[in-house]
Amino acid sequence: MRAVVKDGIGIFYPQGFLDGNNAPSYLTIEDINATEHLKVDMLLVSLKKVIFFNLNGLDVFVKLLLRIRTKNHISVGICDYDHKKYEAIMTYYKDSLSFSLFKTSKIAELFSSSYSVKDKTVLLYSSDPSQRSALAIELYDHGHNPIIAQTKEEFDEKSMHEDTYYVIIENTRLGLMGQKVATRVTGNAIIYTVSGFLDAEISDTFNIAYHTNSLNVGFRLFIFDAYKVISMNVHAVNFLAKLSSSAAEYNATICFVGMTFEKTPVAFKNELEDSGLMFFENMDDILKDKELLEELGGSSVAVVKNKRSLTKTIVQELSEFIDATVSTIEMMTNAKAVKKSVTMQTLVIENIEDKMASSIGFYGDIDGMIILIFPSEVAKKSCALLIGEETDDVNQILDALAEFVNIIGGRTKTLLSEKKISVDITLPRTYATAQSLLEVASSKKGVQVDMSFNDDNFTFFLTR
Amino acid sequence: MVTPEDIKEYIKKIPPTPAILNQTIFHVNAGDLNKAARIAEEDLALKAYLKTLVNRPIYGFKNEITELPQIFSILGANAAKQSLYNYLLTLLSPNKWVLFKMNQHLFCDLQADLSRNWHNILIHLGVDDKDIESAITLLPSSIIICEALFKDNIENVQLLRSAKNLDYNTILKRLTKLDLFDISKYISKVWQMPESVGTILLASSGIKPSMDADLNKLGKWMHLLLFYQLSKPQFIEAGLNDFVEFNTEYVMDIYEDFMQLMEVQS
Repeated sequence: MRAVVKDGIGIFYPQGFLDGNNAPSYLTIEDINATEHLKVDMLLVSLKKVIFFNLNGLDVFVKLLLRIRTKNHISVGICDYDHKKYEAIMTYYKDSLSFSLFKTSKIAELFSSSYSVKDKTVLLYSSDPSQRSALAIELYDHGHNPIIAQTKEEFDEKSMHEDTYYVIIENTRLGLMGQKVATRVTGNAIIYTVSGFLDAEISDTFNIAYHTNSLNVGFRLFIFDAYKVISMNVHAVNFLAKLSSSAAEYNATICFVGMTFEKTPVAFKNELEDSGLMFFENMDDILKDKELLEELGGSSVAVVKNKRSLTKTIVQELSEFIDATVSTIEMMTNAKAVKKSVTMQTLVIENIEDKMASSIGFYGDIDGMIILIFPSEVAKKSCALLIGEETDDVNQILDALAEFVNIIGGRTKTLLSEKKISVDITLPRTYATAQSLLEVASSKKGVQVDMSFNDDNFTFFLTR
Repeated sequence: MVTPEDIKEYIKKIPPTPAILNQTIFHVNAGDLNKAARIAEEDLALKAYLKTLVNRPIYGFKNEITELPQIFSILGANAAKQSLYNYLLTLLSPNKWVLFKMNQHLFCDLQADLSRNWHNILIHLGVDDKDIESAITLLPSSIIICEALFKDNIENVQLLRSAKNLDYNTILKRLTKLDLFDISKYISKVWQMPESVGTILLASSGIKPSMDADLNKLGKWMHLLLFYQLSKPQFIEAGLNDFVEFNTEYVMDIYEDFMQLMEVQS
């Protein structure tokens, strides 16, 4: 069994009965290896379709989760259960519960740094005051607005106004959260969240490949959210100084926000400033100051001065990228996709109104970005298999487009690996309008392929 | 991936019930098990199948049973009819499995386990009906159909399922507007099985409840039985555990009863 990955969360979905006799059969050695190599910041087991489980059965999955957490520094836990199952888990693990419990996967998403939706008002209750605080702090840190019920009575009363809240959180507990440096994208800035004492371990927990790829695909502003950093040592200073120096080669800026130097030598701050790193007291000092944002490079990725062009290797492998796109379209629509024109140019989008787009970056032996642009109606048709039913909900369509381009990324990775070219893919990104895509990619040169299926047109664009 | 045309082609290839089997079923329906056994003797493959079936451990006989009249007599009319349909289904199963890590032996194990447990469930529910007893035989047809339709699309399905938690039944339905259980019901018509068999089968999908409360209840028991069987290690390893979606809410009202009957303990 393989985990399904979405928005940086991997979830296993076993079905039926889970006991000590059958649970090992869910996870082959290949499955375990594949799970270890997943690029996720949270790994969960869903009990939604499990009708019966016992300690021995659940423990097979829990042991895997704990192993992955130790190895990859990510958050792990169990989700999608009712009160009875929650009570059973609490009984089984009462003295050793070190993983998280999320009543639903929707609740789990709120605690994932890769989840793009922020600023949700949620109702929260836990009978354990320390859990209540921990949950509230994490939710707040992830950009949400938790309303905390201090008593069960208060919770029951507030729960009656269900529509007021994005979600109601109960029967949920936080275990050890992942120590991986969490990453999220805000506009055209990348935000890394760090906390505690920063030492040599930061070089393990920071995803340098993702950072390099973000530089390569044109991001120019990187912000470390350091409100919860207590202090750092010389190893962390060296790491950050190097990061800042290498960013300068791309004309990029690295900022540190919210860190007080009460317990850290001021000399460290000076050293980091010398290497080009900038310090700010509040996140809003940057994100809400348009002029400063523009100056720092976070207003648009398109401000890149040294535009990168496609390499010979990428052009040589163009057919693989197109094949991956065509075969995915054909798989999802059961219609024949036809290539209409191929040109090397800057991105041109005709009839810019009512278009949606998605993109995914790849990095490794070669690096670049695949962009797909669809008229909204065509996007809906292309993703019908993923959406399942007719919908005009833009968020749902964008969500499906992200899954769609993720499948293309996965297929491209497979096709290239057959030619001994190793690449990894980034999280997908979606654009509700073509205008928002152009802000990022209008000046990029690449290969534009106009395609059609069932007389519907769409555009594929490959760039760096 | 899979198109409506593929389904049409598949349906065209469903063989009708062989004449000998038809006659055997006719005599079982009439209650003449001796005559049914004599006719079944003419089909050596059928004879071998029935011999292997009743000598499986789940039937619990100490000595090997070799003669057809004895087999029919031991099984009784209801279970004999069920076994004949089980044999009919093996005619549809592939020689070589590709999508699922199955083989003929494992498939027959699944049939035997389902049939025996279904028999016990019907006794528990006080249902004594040849047709309803036979309904279980068609349930594994959904696995055979899934294998046939998706075996050439393994890579595509894997990619799709890495991004979204979709079962084969849902993928097929979204691509073609027909699901595995619709096709199974069609097979029941080709094989001239009673309408109630198709109704129970659809209800056992967990997504198409029947308006007939009695048949729907049987559909629930069948849905839960299917996932009880597919949670066995050998079927999880075969990749069958999540080929269709398990609807836990659908079976909640019979769950405790089922657990007691199957003697499952926490």
